[in-house]
Amino acid sequence: MRLPAGVSSTDFASAIAEFETAVGRQWVFTSDEDVDLYRDAFSPFLHEPEELVASAAVAPVSTEQVQQIVRIANRYKIPLYPISTGKNLGYGGSAPAYSGSVVVDLKRMNKVIEVNEANAFALVEPGVSYFDLYHHIQERKLKVWIDCPDPGWGSVIGNALDRGGGYTTANYRNHFDSHCGMEIVLPNGELLRTGMGAIPNAKTWQQYKSGCGPWIDGIFSQSNFGIVTKMGFWLMPEPEAYLRGTVSLSRYGDLAPMVETLNYLENARITAGFPDIASPLNGYPPIGQVQLWNETGPPTMIDEHRQLLASAKLGYSPELEAYGIKSGIPYWQLWLSFHGPAEVIEAQWQAAQRHFSKLEGAKFRVVDRIKLPIDPAKADAYHEPELGVPALRAFSIGARSPWNPTPSKGHMWFSPIVPRTGEAIIEANRVFSAAARELDMPLFQSFCMPACFWERCFIFILATPVTEAPATNKRYREGFKKLIAVGGQHGWGEYRTAPVFQKSVMDVYSFNEHALQRFHETLKDAIDPNGIMSPGRYAIWPKHLREKRT
Amino acid sequence: MSRRAELRVMKGSALAGLLLAGLTLAGAAARADAPPDPHAAGRVVYTKWCAPCHDPGVTHPGTNALTVKYQGIKPGVLLEWKDLQPETVKYLVRHGISVMPQFRKTEISDAELEALAKFLSRNTPTH
Repeated sequence: MRLPAGVSSTDFASAIAEFETAVGRQWVFTSDEDVDLYRDAFSPFLHEPEELVASAAVAPVSTEQVQQIVRIANRYKIPLYPISTGKNLGYGGSAPAYSGSVVVDLKRMNKVIEVNEANAFALVEPGVSYFDLYHHIQERKLKVWIDCPDPGWGSVIGNALDRGGGYTTANYRNHFDSHCGMEIVLPNGELLRTGMGAIPNAKTWQQYKSGCGPWIDGIFSQSNFGIVTKMGFWLMPEPEAYLRGTVSLSRYGDLAPMVETLNYLENARITAGFPDIASPLNGYPPIGQVQLWNETGPPTMIDEHRQLLASAKLGYSPELEAYGIKSGIPYWQLWLSFHGPAEVIEAQWQAAQRHFSKLEGAKFRVVDRIKLPIDPAKADAYHEPELGVPALRAFSIGARSPWNPTPSKGHMWFSPIVPRTGEAIIEANRVFSAAARELDMPLFQSFCMPACFWERCFIFILATPVTEAPATNKRYREGFKKLIAVGGQHGWGEYRTAPVFQKSVMDVYSFNEHALQRFHETLKDAIDPNGIMSPGRYAIWPKHLREKRT
Repeated sequence: MSRRAELRVMKGSALAGLLLAGLTLAGAAARADAPPDPHAAGRVVYTKWCAPCHDPGVTHPGTNALTVKYQGIKPGVLLEWKDLQPETVKYLVRHGISVMPQFRKTEISDAELEALAKFLSRNTPTH
C-alpha cells in the first residue's frame, strides 16, 4: 500500500478502515491496480518517477459522506484531493497536486437535483457531466440549453471550478461566471452554502448570486479551501434560431480594426455568440473547424502559397498579402454567430455587417441559418458545442488520423490571456514564436490566432504534446515553464494550468512581492490548519509543506 | 449506436408498439416471446462511454484512429470487429491508449466492464 509522506502506516490503515466504514468497503481503493486508475492520463511525467500519483481513493455518494471523509482526514492528517469526474485532461486529469494524497472521487455524486425551465437554472452534484445534464434536459424536453466545453464528458461543477469555458453566448460561456450558489464542505467538515443559500429554506439560491456580505464563491475555484458538493448554474432559454456568418478581410492591417469592431459589437451585445477568428491566408482555422480539419484534412495549399508562408515574418509579407488578394484568400476571417428569434438575429447580423463595412473590401457570407431546435442526430454537421450539444470530437486533437500518423500520449495546454487587440495578437506571436524557437518547443511555429471564450480578452490555447519519450517530455516541460515566465515578463498570464505548472504560473502573479499568493496562504492557514485539502493546488501549500514553494 | 440514434430507435419502437397493440394481440405475444438481448447491459455501457468516440463516421476520433492504424486489416468501427478478445477490452479500458484515458471503477464498474467486454467480443469465435 502506498503511503502519504509523513503519515505512519498504522495511521493510514486506521484512516482507510474509517473511510471504509463511511462509504462502504467497495468504494475505497488501495491496490496499486485500482489506484493507478487515478493517474493523469496526459501526465507530462509519463514513465518518470516524478509523476504525481495518489496513495488511495475514496468515492462518497453523499455530502454527509464527504463530511465524514474530511473529518477522518483531519484526525489522521491525511492529504485529500477531490476530483469531480476526473476528466480535466490537459490540465491535470484525476491525479493529485501532491503525490500521496487520497483522491476523493465524487463521480458517484451524480444527481441532477433540479432543472428549472421557468427560471432557466440547474442545480447539480459534482459527478454530473455535461452529457448527463444534456440528456436529462433532452429526455424531459425542457427548453433550456447547456453551455459545454470541448470535450463534453467533464463535470459541470469541476469545469466551472477550474474556470473553464464554452461556446454558446457571452452570458454563459464563462462557466464560473454563470454559476449561482454553491454548497461546500469546508476543510473542517462543516457545511457552508453561499449566496442566498445561506438563508435557511432559501427561495432564491439559484436566482441571486451574491447574497449579502462578502461574496466568497471565487475562493473555492482554482483553490483548495473546500469540496464543492452542489452548485447552481444559469442556463440559456432555448433560442428559436441560429445564424452564423463570416466577415472576410484581405489586408494585414485590417486585423486591429477588425478586433476593435468585434469588441464594440460584442460588448454592446449586437453579437453574443462565440466569435471565432481565423487566418485563411496563414492557414490557421477557426476553432469551430479544428475538428473538421483533423477529420477530413486541412484545405489544400498550393506550393506558391506554402513558399510565401515560409518566408513571411509574423504572418506577413507584402508578397503574401498580394497573393491573398489575387487568389481571393482572406487574410482574416471572423466567424460571428447569433442566437435568438429569426427577425432579431437577422437585424443583428445586418448591424454587424454595417459596422464591418467601414473596413475597405470587407466581404460577408452567411454560413448557417438554422431553425432551432435541430435534430440532435444532425448536430455533428456543426461544431456541436456552439449549439449546446456535448461531444467528444475534440479527441481528434492528438489522435491518430490520416494527417497525424503518430498519435500523442496527450497534451498540456499552454493558454495565456492577452489583450483584446490586433496589436496584442501580433506582439504575442512575436514574443512566443521567438521564445519557442529558442527553446525548441513545438508551439507558435506559424502565425497563431487566439480564441474569444472570454468577452474582454483573448486567450491562446495551444497543445504541447506529451510523448512516449521522457527526454522530449522533459524538454517540453522546461520549455513550457520558460514560456510561462516569458509571458509574465510581458504582463500576460495563464488562465489555468496543470498542477505540474501551477507554481510557475502563480509565480507570474507576483505584484507587490507575491501579495496575492501570501493572501492565499493566510486564507489556507485559517481555513485548513491541518493542511489536508488538496495541498499544493494552484501553488497554495499548507504551512507544514510551504518550503516546497522555494 | 450513438445515444442520439438509440433515442430515435426507442421513440420509433414505442410508436410501433402502440400501433401493434391496436391491431393484433398476436403481434404483442410474439414480442413478448422474443429472446432477451444477452448484451443489453454491455450495450448500455458502450453507448454511454464508447459510442461518442467509436461509433461509425468520420466525426468519431476513435473510429478514425483505428481506421488509419489497421489500414483495412480490421474495421475502424469497433462494433464490427470479429476477433476482439474480452481481455483486450478490459485491458484497454483500464489502461487507456494514445489519447484515450483509462476509466475508473466509479465510471465503469468491474461488472459493467465484464458486460462491455462480452458485448464487444460477441462476434469473436470462442474456440
